[in-house]
Amino acid sequence: MDGQSGFRDPSTIHFQQDFIRRYIIGSYWLIIVLALPLWWQTTSIERLPLPTSEVYLQATKKFQLPLELCADSAFSGHVPAMQDLIRQSASYLDAKIILGRDCSMYQFSGYAVLPGTQLAIQDKTLYCSPDLPVDNFTSVLLSLVAPPMDRRAAQYAPRYRLSFTLLNEDASAGQVIISWDIQKAIIQHISPITSALGTLHNFTIESQVQFHAPLAFEPQPLSDGTYGLTPEDLTVFINSAEWTLSSSSSNDPVLHFVLFVPSTKRRPLVILNSDGSSSNSSAFLIPQWGGVVILNLPPPPPTMQFLEASELRSSFSTFSRQLLTLLGYPRLHPSISSLRKTALTPWQIDSLLRQRMHENIVRSHDTLRSTVTLVSQIEGMPVDDKVHSQVQGSLKALHELFDFARTHLTLEEMLTLSARALTLSSKAFFHPGMLALLYFPAEHKYAVYTPLFATAMIPMLAAALRELAAWRKERKARAAAAVIPEGDKNVNEPNSSDTAVSADTDAMDAGR
Amino acid sequence: MLKTSLVIFLLLFNSVFCIKQAAEEFEENLSLKSLRDGRVTSSFSFKTLLRDAAPRDPRTLALDNDDSQHYTLFPLTLGQILRQYAITELHLTLNAGKWNYESWGYPDESGVGVGAELWAWMADGSPSSIDERWQGLRNALAGLFCASLGSLDEQRTTSPRQSFPPQGDLPDWGLPHELRHASHASEHVCTENLTPFLKLLPCKSLSGLATLLNPHRIFDADWHGIGLHVLWLPEGVEVRLNVQLVSDPLRISSTNKQDWSFHSLFDRKVDQACPIAKTSRVAVELPSSGFYRVHPEPLEIKDGQAYYNLKIANEAWNIGTMWPTDFEYPLSKPNQALVPFSVQRSLRGSTQDRGELSIVVTNHQQNTLQLRYLETMPWIIQFYLHTIRVHSDGVLKNDLISNISYVLPVAHSRPATFESILTLPGGSNLTFTMNVAKAFLRYTEHPPDAQRGWDLPPAVFTPLLQSRDDSIGRIYTPSLLVDLATPDFSMPYNVIMFTCSVVAFIFGSVFNVLTRKFVVVRLEPTEIQDN
Repeated sequence: MDGQSGFRDPSTIHFQQDFIRRYIIGSYWLIIVLALPLWWQTTSIERLPLPTSEVYLQATKKFQLPLELCADSAFSGHVPAMQDLIRQSASYLDAKIILGRDCSMYQFSGYAVLPGTQLAIQDKTLYCSPDLPVDNFTSVLLSLVAPPMDRRAAQYAPRYRLSFTLLNEDASAGQVIISWDIQKAIIQHISPITSALGTLHNFTIESQVQFHAPLAFEPQPLSDGTYGLTPEDLTVFINSAEWTLSSSSSNDPVLHFVLFVPSTKRRPLVILNSDGSSSNSSAFLIPQWGGVVILNLPPPPPTMQFLEASELRSSFSTFSRQLLTLLGYPRLHPSISSLRKTALTPWQIDSLLRQRMHENIVRSHDTLRSTVTLVSQIEGMPVDDKVHSQVQGSLKALHELFDFARTHLTLEEMLTLSARALTLSSKAFFHPGMLALLYFPAEHKYAVYTPLFATAMIPMLAAALRELAAWRKERKARAAAAVIPEGDKNVNEPNSSDTAVSADTDAMDAGR
Repeated sequence: MLKTSLVIFLLLFNSVFCIKQAAEEFEENLSLKSLRDGRVTSSFSFKTLLRDAAPRDPRTLALDNDDSQHYTLFPLTLGQILRQYAITELHLTLNAGKWNYESWGYPDESGVGVGAELWAWMADGSPSSIDERWQGLRNALAGLFCASLGSLDEQRTTSPRQSFPPQGDLPDWGLPHELRHASHASEHVCTENLTPFLKLLPCKSLSGLATLLNPHRIFDADWHGIGLHVLWLPEGVEVRLNVQLVSDPLRISSTNKQDWSFHSLFDRKVDQACPIAKTSRVAVELPSSGFYRVHPEPLEIKDGQAYYNLKIANEAWNIGTMWPTDFEYPLSKPNQALVPFSVQRSLRGSTQDRGELSIVVTNHQQNTLQLRYLETMPWIIQFYLHTIRVHSDGVLKNDLISNISYVLPVAHSRPATFESILTLPGGSNLTFTMNVAKAFLRYTEHPPDAQRGWDLPPAVFTPLLQSRDDSIGRIYTPSLLVDLATPDFSMPYNVIMFTCSVVAFIFGSVFNVLTRKFVVVRLEPTEIQDN
């Protein structure tokens, strides 16, 4: 066949024109470029930036609570020693002691130390004999202003559940306490405390009666017919496998108060001291958990019994003391007597408030710092807007709190802010979204992508490079043609070997 | 003024579960019955009544301060859950085995569907939505009973109001009440569910009838199940805990007699009655014919039942029945049916994408029977409603199905609810068929371990109240098993490699054709001659 006459030149066909081919290659690349952000967005994990530097800065800040105390001029000799001691033992207090004659005016706004015949406290005023030695005076005042925190106290929570449980060890053994006058007992003994400490915590009270509450061990029979609980027994006294004490339905911490009625076979049940002698007390406290009172009812036992409020009096006054200890309420110095009937003095409640506030601030600082450190250490950890806003909210509460001097916050408002900071920071730390580490690690991702993208990218890259080379050559040739006079147009025929390589054999086949 | 009255109004409503003295009662009952096939069914029921209490108004959930709760007999852990989610009525059953209605008759407690079933009636009007409370309730009960109730999620939750009407009263707060129902057929009851269940009882399993609840024997029984029911009745809130089991004394004993006693069935006796139970009663249904002896001597015999009061004497109770002769298995089919109708349900078809759901209902009575038929099907099975065919004794009669209501499934989230009414002429045999499609699951929706297939929840049949026999309530069919197309998970990378190679090959070819450049190569004539 004659090749010269039968065929059109392929470069004159519409779809074989150079610019069409370049458009095609270019559009492929354009799609890849456009798809990259989408790919990036769908495969990256949400990690909102946390205010790291702000958190570190905040965590280094020291909180200083002002405390104004007015001392009568009769105590002028005691003041410097007192101020030093407060500064040493409670660094969070910025104590300012005013010496003056008109301290009685302070009785209503701040704390006052007035001369009196005996050591006594009323509301926010301490009466004290000026003849008291300096050491005694400072220790008494320190116990009011900055008492040491009891290790047995539970950690601060804005809301506690108080769970009262009456446990019959074995109701089928002869005697059953079928019910108790819990509501009256609570009104008499617990409500005064919960209402006085209402500024610190909210309380939910619940009670139950159980009729079979076996012990996990056998109490020792003693020679005098009683049964004894050794200090080791007390550590395993709570039988959580058999007693349903825990409340499962909310996250609020629970303080348990257990009134344990031993079986008639094991009565009376007494607590032994470590030397083996029987203790006077029939109650014990489990730090940060609750309290237990053992109620040995006098013989002869009636088979069914309802416990009146009067019979619960001693047990519930023990419970109320245990509750105060668990809530961290400071004990009054033994030498001070209270002039009011109530067990709680406003001065001590304020001190507890300050202590709790300090504790909250330290804890929320720690939690915030741990959160940002953890997030910066683990790169695959997602941080969503919820965590972000919780961290921000916690910081905001802390800022507001540290700004108290300007905004004149009351102690209660400051405590609320510190509690909010603590709650938000621990919520952020324990956010379940952060625990879910990356399910699909980066290596896994590349292992899935490489077989697809590497094989597809190679022809695209090759085509793009070849086209680029052809275009540059063409441009060079055109520049040369501009110098050479017209007529020698044939030079520009696009049959240069490198552009035709891929199609050569096919073209020949088509030619035949 | 308005604010004060609102507060007073709320306080009035807030007095929920408030208890006056001695306002709680506890009753325990056990009824035992010998069955046709020699088995014995025991049904324990522990009822605690909280007198004059009412469910919590969901509007009070908005208030931050929670009332105090004081209980003596009522389980506190359950009371907390009911209060926190403001549940009006609650039913939870955990069963294992297939209840054989034909030979065992209708059960004392109607909830005998296999696996876990939970349904609750709740009033709307709270700040959190009903579905949020339903989720919280599921999780709380899952924690309380150590059961996988958390998996009763929105993929299994339906709201078939007519088949599950409230069994108690609904308070008239002017708020709409909603039903949430979910069942999970592959969740089986086990010891870890029974232990927390026993802890809800005032006497635990240490005295009273609950002493008999020996896990070794309960879970050895041919059929066993536990249930929790909370209702609001005019007298107060009632919590009923029940255990039902069908045990086979012939299997346990060495002789061929169907004799049974507490000791042979439970390997225990009742040594002490529960001291705080108001009543503690055992009822033994006497056999209708033949010679037998019930021991010890019953307190009272009434309507073919022998009654015992365990509170009367504090002795070790070992109630039982003895027969002088060996048990003879009934060889011929019994002529009298124990239930008015029986149901068979099956899923047919061998392929992994299509199938046919088939139901055969037989009416054992002479009068016409109307049944409400309910399917709560997970989205993995999709119905083709246009293929519904109803045959009565082999004759096509599509008019026997009526009142079809259908809630479409949503793939990956919501199950289908199919409700209809079937009419069965007296003594007839009705066949219902419908084509179904089986879904293709996503990679992550397959369970991580080897498994036998997906259990489909039982269908529920409820007779409409035209028959005088009110004792028959819901009847559950056995669950179905469906096998869905499952990929070979052992070679994901090989699959990725193959797929990528094919995709890259196709892409390369298309790309090459699109960007190819054709040129004309002029060959010298001499070359052609050479060729």
